[in-house]
Amino acid sequence: MFKKILVSNRGEIACRIIRACREMGIASLAVYSEADRAGLHVQLADEAACIGPPAAVESYLNMDRIIETARAFGAEAIHPGYGFLAENPEFARRCERAGIVFIGPNSRALELVGDKIRARQTMENSGIPIIPGMKHVAADFAEYAAEARKIGYPVMIKASAGGGGKGMRIVCSEEELRPGLESGQREAKAAFGDESVYLEKYIEDPRHVEFQVLADNHGHIVHLFERECSIQRRHQKIVEETPSQALTPELRRRMGETARKALQVAEYNNAGTVEFLLDRNKKFYFLEVNARLQVEHPVTELTTGIDLVQQQIRIAAGEKLSLRQEDLVQRGHAIECRIYAEDPSRNFLPSSGKVLYLREPRGPGVRHDGGIYSGWEVPIYYDPILAKLIVWAETRDSACARMAAALDDYVILGISTTIPFLKDVISHPRFLEGATTTAFIKNHFENWREKEGPADGLTLALAAAALDELSPSRKVGKAAGLEKEVYSPWQMLGRWKIGEKP
Amino acid sequence: MDFEFTVSGVRQTISLDRKDDRVTIRHGDTTLEAEVRIISEDSVSLLVAGRSFLVIVARDKDKRHVWLNGRTYLVQSGKEEQRFAERGDERAQKGKSVVTAPMPGKVVKINVAEGEAVRKNQTLAIVEAMKMENEIKSPLEGFVKKIYVSAGDLVDSEKPLLELEPK
Repeated sequence: MFKKILVSNRGEIACRIIRACREMGIASLAVYSEADRAGLHVQLADEAACIGPPAAVESYLNMDRIIETARAFGAEAIHPGYGFLAENPEFARRCERAGIVFIGPNSRALELVGDKIRARQTMENSGIPIIPGMKHVAADFAEYAAEARKIGYPVMIKASAGGGGKGMRIVCSEEELRPGLESGQREAKAAFGDESVYLEKYIEDPRHVEFQVLADNHGHIVHLFERECSIQRRHQKIVEETPSQALTPELRRRMGETARKALQVAEYNNAGTVEFLLDRNKKFYFLEVNARLQVEHPVTELTTGIDLVQQQIRIAAGEKLSLRQEDLVQRGHAIECRIYAEDPSRNFLPSSGKVLYLREPRGPGVRHDGGIYSGWEVPIYYDPILAKLIVWAETRDSACARMAAALDDYVILGISTTIPFLKDVISHPRFLEGATTTAFIKNHFENWREKEGPADGLTLALAAAALDELSPSRKVGKAAGLEKEVYSPWQMLGRWKIGEKP
Repeated sequence: MDFEFTVSGVRQTISLDRKDDRVTIRHGDTTLEAEVRIISEDSVSLLVAGRSFLVIVARDKDKRHVWLNGRTYLVQSGKEEQRFAERGDERAQKGKSVVTAPMPGKVVKINVAEGEAVRKNQTLAIVEAMKMENEIKSPLEGFVKKIYVSAGDLVDSEKPLLELEPK
């Protein structure tokens, strides 16, 4: 087993991996950008090293610097988490060459499944159903336009190196195609350093069902059942659960077998997720392989009792899987809500600033995977995910009730978060029925506003503010400077230095 | 003792009568009797006719974030609010025609040029924050009078991006 692992990520997932290392008796090495010196992952890890300026391309995406750091600190393996370098075959290859174990699939499999277009082709050749669409990147706009006409509108623009909704656009007419392609390519370039996009038939109102798979280096593959991730905004998952309400045991078995087969065909090892779209007629299509630990992995952990990060580390160290498919069972129901630093009442604008107060929900069956703490400043440079709230209960109904209670108990003050929005999602009658499709948010939550609270709630909140004002040590704006300040909108500018003249 | 606050743009007056740990709260037509216990620097427990409330108060520069029963109230003290109004006035002179950045981020692209005619809801610029692109749309039909930023600039929330002239 490894003695030391470098965790090349930040935020909640870095913390999650560091915890797994600690439990396994492995030393953890955190890396951080200059913007993350105060990050929770730096505090939790046994060792920490700065790898560059705030911009991700100069730090968390800086392969040479990360590999050098692993060498300098004597880390034998690198866990990439999700995002950043997690699905970058070049990075996996450089690790392999440097004699450092990349905790993820081998670079060839990563290259294959990471190229969404080649992956589609490979799967189709093996008899795995795929969504109709392009199997190559077009040379110019005219070719995209021709392909789009052939597929038939509406079409979906997808990043070839894609994932996480980045670069994805739905295009309903030829008019929207050019701006959609431009913006999709730009976003893909920024997110993955590769601007290739392709077009696919847009399937209306599908469910998004994915299967977790583990494959060791000795050809043994098991699946750990499904996760339903249909609740999405801008193609970003926000609520995930398992088991899916849409699957029968027979369909689950067939999809699980297809997922295993997909990874077998790709000669894949370590943890991976096979994503499917399930249409209204319960027909499923291979979407892509997510060659990484998923954000939503905890729901699988809670229902199967298996620690996926520890499994990843064991597989990477060359151990044989001790799990057998026939022994794996799902128990109870788990739901995850992603807590983003976004303002749901202002069209989900990113919200940065200081976390003034944090109280994580607690109680039976409640798990909180977080990367934040009271007093921490949310940087603007990275993904807005702050934490994940996960609950487990015997049944789906109990799990929904538990999630609603936990969200009610969750306090983050100082920045806007998606918590009030998630509360309404979780308690929506259609969600409670299990009628979840990828159009759920669009259909039921367009122009969402937080509901009015009870009248005496406001009264008591004001009373507390007044009591707070009475306390001499707690004067708001006690910085005497406020009295002297010049009244200009520039005073409202936060901690950024703005050089430009208006 | 009387207090003035502003919550979501609405002025609220509340009066507190405190005797040891008992407080009489008057707010509009509501009168509540509460027993108060300070729990910590940021939390206070209120018992109102047997009902138990924990209120958490976090102080920001010029406002308070107050959490109660799963809701967050942004409470500004009356005096501060006046300042905001004054600041607002200054901006109001420029009117709605100044388009500002809705959040801190990086200007990815300016889609229009000075002097160009724009339709309502036309995309004027794209600002990226936390890896998501956000389209800045025109609030009105008119002309682009002045562009204050260029692609690549880092902007803070409320930073003027460009100025429009209504048609």
